[in-house]
Amino acid sequence: MVILAAFALWPLFVLVQMSLSEVGPAEIVGNWSFVGLRNFVDVLGDFETWKAILRTIGLCAILVISNLVLGFIAATVLSTTGRTASAVLGILVFVWALPPLVSGSVWRFLLDDTGTLNAILGLLGISPVNWLSDPALALWSVSAVVAWASLPFSILIMRGGLLAVNPELIEAAAIDGAGFWTTRWRIILPLMRPTLWILAVITVLYAFRSFDFFYVMTQGGPGTSTNTLPVLSYYTAFTNFDMSTGATIAVVSMVVVLAFAVPYVRTIKNEETS
Amino acid sequence: MRRRTALQGAAVTSLLSLGSSSCALQSAPAGTDSNGVTTLRMWHYYQDQQKTWLEDEVRRFEAKHPKTRIALIDVVGDQQAQKLLASVSIGNGPDLLMNNIVVDFPVLRAAGVLKDITEQWESFQDNDQFPEATAWRNEGRVFNLLPYTNLIGMYAHSDALADSGVETVPSTLSELESAMQKVSEKGAFEPLAMAGSPDVEGAWLFAPQLLGLGIDYCNFHGAAVEDAFRRLARWRDKGWLPQATATWSQTDAWQQFMTGRYAFALNGNWNLGNARDSGFAIQTARYPASDGGKSKVYPGGEGIAIGAQTKYPDLAWSFIESAFLSAPGARAVNTVAGSIPVRADVASSDQLAGDADVAPFVEAARHQARWPDNERTADMQRALGEAVSGVISGQLSGDEGASSAVNEIAAARADGGGSC
Repeated sequence: MVILAAFALWPLFVLVQMSLSEVGPAEIVGNWSFVGLRNFVDVLGDFETWKAILRTIGLCAILVISNLVLGFIAATVLSTTGRTASAVLGILVFVWALPPLVSGSVWRFLLDDTGTLNAILGLLGISPVNWLSDPALALWSVSAVVAWASLPFSILIMRGGLLAVNPELIEAAAIDGAGFWTTRWRIILPLMRPTLWILAVITVLYAFRSFDFFYVMTQGGPGTSTNTLPVLSYYTAFTNFDMSTGATIAVVSMVVVLAFAVPYVRTIKNEETS
Repeated sequence: MRRRTALQGAAVTSLLSLGSSSCALQSAPAGTDSNGVTTLRMWHYYQDQQKTWLEDEVRRFEAKHPKTRIALIDVVGDQQAQKLLASVSIGNGPDLLMNNIVVDFPVLRAAGVLKDITEQWESFQDNDQFPEATAWRNEGRVFNLLPYTNLIGMYAHSDALADSGVETVPSTLSELESAMQKVSEKGAFEPLAMAGSPDVEGAWLFAPQLLGLGIDYCNFHGAAVEDAFRRLARWRDKGWLPQATATWSQTDAWQQFMTGRYAFALNGNWNLGNARDSGFAIQTARYPASDGGKSKVYPGGEGIAIGAQTKYPDLAWSFIESAFLSAPGARAVNTVAGSIPVRADVASSDQLAGDADVAPFVEAARHQARWPDNERTADMQRALGEAVSGVISGQLSGDEGASSAVNEIAAARADGGGSC
């Protein structure tokens, strides 16, 4: 427990310390001079940070809609037994287990201007789309890939929740004349509210730490159009070697994540209590 | 105080490791074993032919120094600087290292990763064979060497030129625009493949449009900067640069050129071997000069340095002399890896100057621009790369791109202490 806490808390402590200090390449080894909240003033006063926050919120929105809406529909369809459902679940686990660097690289080729997706559109007589190089589209293209990668987890969690619903309730609803989707909407969905809530919180946390796909597919570009908070933090700290600003952006992300994590922990506690 | 520093070092290492997984980089133990064999650890990120050349040089050195072993440790290129900072913070830096000198020299020097090699360099008997720019200095002291270089120039697809009625490979940007107009009107080929990614690569490919006019990161402002970005926007608007250029690295752009669909490419000399195997005829030329200016590019390539924490600086210097500074090493790096050695007797030999494809790059090496000595050099390059990518993609107009680049570069330069 102590070791676990040390591994979790010590880097966080140093991160916060770094965000309150002046740390560039010359100071990385040695003493860091304390600068108070100056880095936070700089970061929050930079228009790029706010644009990155907005982009991250956009990514959150895509993921929440995808994971909850598509996830629920897919979990409903897959909450049956049979070979097809088992095969699809197997594929979902495979997709979920793929390293983002691998699947991101594959998607980068698929979404290239001369890639497979545009080749298919060409066969249908549709002009090619610049999925990753159009600044108006790139964020949504990568977000869709992130959603594709996170959807299997959501489906598996929701399917578990669906299978845990008391079958007698469903039978009673059927006797009362409720159809398949009415039962899902009126009976099952309210029962799954705690699961959906937890899933929504996990999804937001996932969005605020999503970095790999952006790194592989666009590196924050074209221009700055896919610079989300984690991407901005990484390039500031590890490419520009402005460690303190990078740490400050990470702390800002962490504060947002904490705002979601606290209710998450409370929900878990309430679940355990009930 | 020392304990606090050590703890901070460990913490920094753990934080840096968040940005890059820490592999077992020190798996080869440094030191002298019971048989008296001394092992030096050298960090590098070479691949393919460049790695072949380095391995050849290690074998050549070890054959002459049977009591010395050079352990080559592969590092992921874009994580090398982070890992070096982490290793030095815990007192476990390499004996020898290769680095992306044009990006990370100021950072590694400031962080104490590089050993001061002024005495070794100044007492090296052949140092008059090398131009002054070979030795990278800070406050007059030498920390890094760039004994061979990689530069960018122009590649032209001969069939595309013939098809479009372009008689000679353009030598100025105006001629290039005129040629691209012809290629575009003919329609059989795409005009230009170049990198435009929002990082140092996009910046490296664009900067020469200003360097020949005397504008670099130290005086990046004025009408010429605006003109250059407007020209880039014009290339985008005319369709001479595909929108995808905004995300292309140099490798991506080169792969596009190798499909045979492009008339021109702006890319590096290290692709010459690949170009000769392309199946179509190519010609090379220097990067087109700006009107009223000269053709000038930034030197690229890998720097070689001795780690500040090595216990064997003399042995490490012996290896540098043998592999990187000697005439046989210089000839081999060109033959095997296609790099351009700057050592005068080799650069002027028939092997380089007598090869029509190589000659433009050799000539470019003699007129290279000077990188700024500022801790935020990488920041400046990324700022320029983001502006270039933004303009090519349509996120920014030419004027917005120029304004963004001017402001961000000035801010980064000031953050780095304002020095150049």
